[in-house]
Amino acid sequence: MKQRDELVVGVTVFAALFLIVVGAIWLSQADLGQGGSRFTARFRTVGGLGVGDPVVLRGVRVGRVAEIRLGERNYVEAELQVYRDVAIPPRPAIIAASASLFGEWQAGIISLDQAPDDPNVRRALDEAAAEGDDLWPGATLPDIGQLTAQAGRIATDIASVSSRVQQAFDSTAVAQLQESIRDFGRVADQIATFTEQQTNVLRGVGVRLDEGSELLTGAAQSLKSSLARVDSATNQGELARILENTQMASEQVREASRSFNELLGAARENQQSLVRVIQAADSVASRIENRMGTVGLLIGDSTLYVETTLAVQQLRQLLADIQANPRKYFKFSVF
Amino acid sequence: MLRFVLKAVARGLASLGAVGHLLADMVRGLRDVDVWPRLTVVQMRRVGVDSLPIALFIATFTGIVLSLQASYTFTGAVPLYFVGTAVGKSIMLELGPVLTGLALAGRVGANIAAELGTMKVTEQVDALETLAYNPSSYLVAPRVLAATVMFPLVVAVAVAVGVGSGLVAAVNLLELTTVEFVRGLRLFYQFKDVWFGLLKSMSFGFAIALIGCYCGLGVRRGAEEVGRATTRAVVLGAQLILVLDAFWAILLL
Repeated sequence: MKQRDELVVGVTVFAALFLIVVGAIWLSQADLGQGGSRFTARFRTVGGLGVGDPVVLRGVRVGRVAEIRLGERNYVEAELQVYRDVAIPPRPAIIAASASLFGEWQAGIISLDQAPDDPNVRRALDEAAAEGDDLWPGATLPDIGQLTAQAGRIATDIASVSSRVQQAFDSTAVAQLQESIRDFGRVADQIATFTEQQTNVLRGVGVRLDEGSELLTGAAQSLKSSLARVDSATNQGELARILENTQMASEQVREASRSFNELLGAARENQQSLVRVIQAADSVASRIENRMGTVGLLIGDSTLYVETTLAVQQLRQLLADIQANPRKYFKFSVF
Repeated sequence: MLRFVLKAVARGLASLGAVGHLLADMVRGLRDVDVWPRLTVVQMRRVGVDSLPIALFIATFTGIVLSLQASYTFTGAVPLYFVGTAVGKSIMLELGPVLTGLALAGRVGANIAAELGTMKVTEQVDALETLAYNPSSYLVAPRVLAATVMFPLVVAVAVAVGVGSGLVAAVNLLELTTVEFVRGLRLFYQFKDVWFGLLKSMSFGFAIALIGCYCGLGVRRGAEEVGRATTRAVVLGAQLILVLDAFWAILLL
């Protein structure tokens, strides 16, 4: 009984201790037997980085933070346990940053040449690197709490600005703004109408352009055919004949021009006679207009016109009576 | 009323003194190395190994409930892998040691008080003294040592089973994979989580066994007083567990 108790107790104790040890190692993800190297990084502050937090290289866990201690000249030094056979990039640096929104932190190994494009981070890395020893330079990115605080300050500023805008926009300003908006609406309507009209005009222009384009196309085709004819005519000697005809026509035109010049010379010679005739006609017209001479008196005196008309009528009656009764006025006898 | 309070305070101080006296006797009894080691193994079996079923039963259902309640709480706001964090942290730091301690306060504390009370009533303790055995080294030291050693081990197994049951519940009842649960479990893990829980449970075992011995050896007359001593041992043990829990939290967290 006693031996059995001892055995059972021994097994239980061993199992429980085994559970504790193995469980603790498994949970801490300790790299038993892997060895590795230790590096020290220098920070101004490590933020939320703590012992046991992962060390990652390009997102892959390659170690853990083994120790954090205060260093000289207001620095903080973090000991990093990095697994064996991990290729460290040239000019290594450490960026401590939140791994998630829920408070997890990690130390990322980067090359100093590939540091984030953040002036604060750059400054921190340069400052830590300027110490000139073997310690890796380190910088800390702001965690979500700091970002949230910054966002809160921005929100406060926006609230302040909106409050000022609210004060600036009193009822008068709002009414003016409304009126401006109405005016703008009217202008927009007019612009729309004008645009519609111009669109119609442009549409007409476009149609005409189409027609013109068609005419040009026809002309081009005619020219093309003419050129083709010219081309073919050249081949058949017609062009030479056309040129001869053209030359002949040119000579005839030249001859006609010469005749026309001669005609112009004759006309120039008759010009003075014509001027005199025109002056005489003008004189006669002036005398008629001034009621001088027979014609003038006839035109200017209505009595004469009436008498003349009456005389003409009587003459017509006389002629008609002569035609009707010729024997009354003419007497023919042979003997 | 004042007299009642003063009497209660005086009784409490007297009890404290008696416990201190018992503890001092036990320490002195540790010199009898021929007596208590072999008896301790027997007590380790009774206090520790035999308590495993009830401890594991409690841990199993604690893990399941924690997993489901954590997922219920986190829905829509917190990633579900934090179920692993909640289950691991809660069981390792608090629920594993305390619930197991309360269960063992009832089982072990009552057992010790009833056994020693009966021995006292039946004058077996007097017989031991007559045979030149120191009751402290023969009765108290093995029980207290066994409880102090075995409580952390029982709690460790209970914690492992509780986390395991939480994992099984999360994988089968929630939309959570084993990898996600383990990720959450490891997320904020520190070795302190383990040793803090074990240290607490060690103190619980020591206190429960010591109170059980004190209540049992304090019996003077009859079976009725044995029953009262048993009840008292359980109540005092449970109270001490909560007080020590707060004490360690204030001291170490």
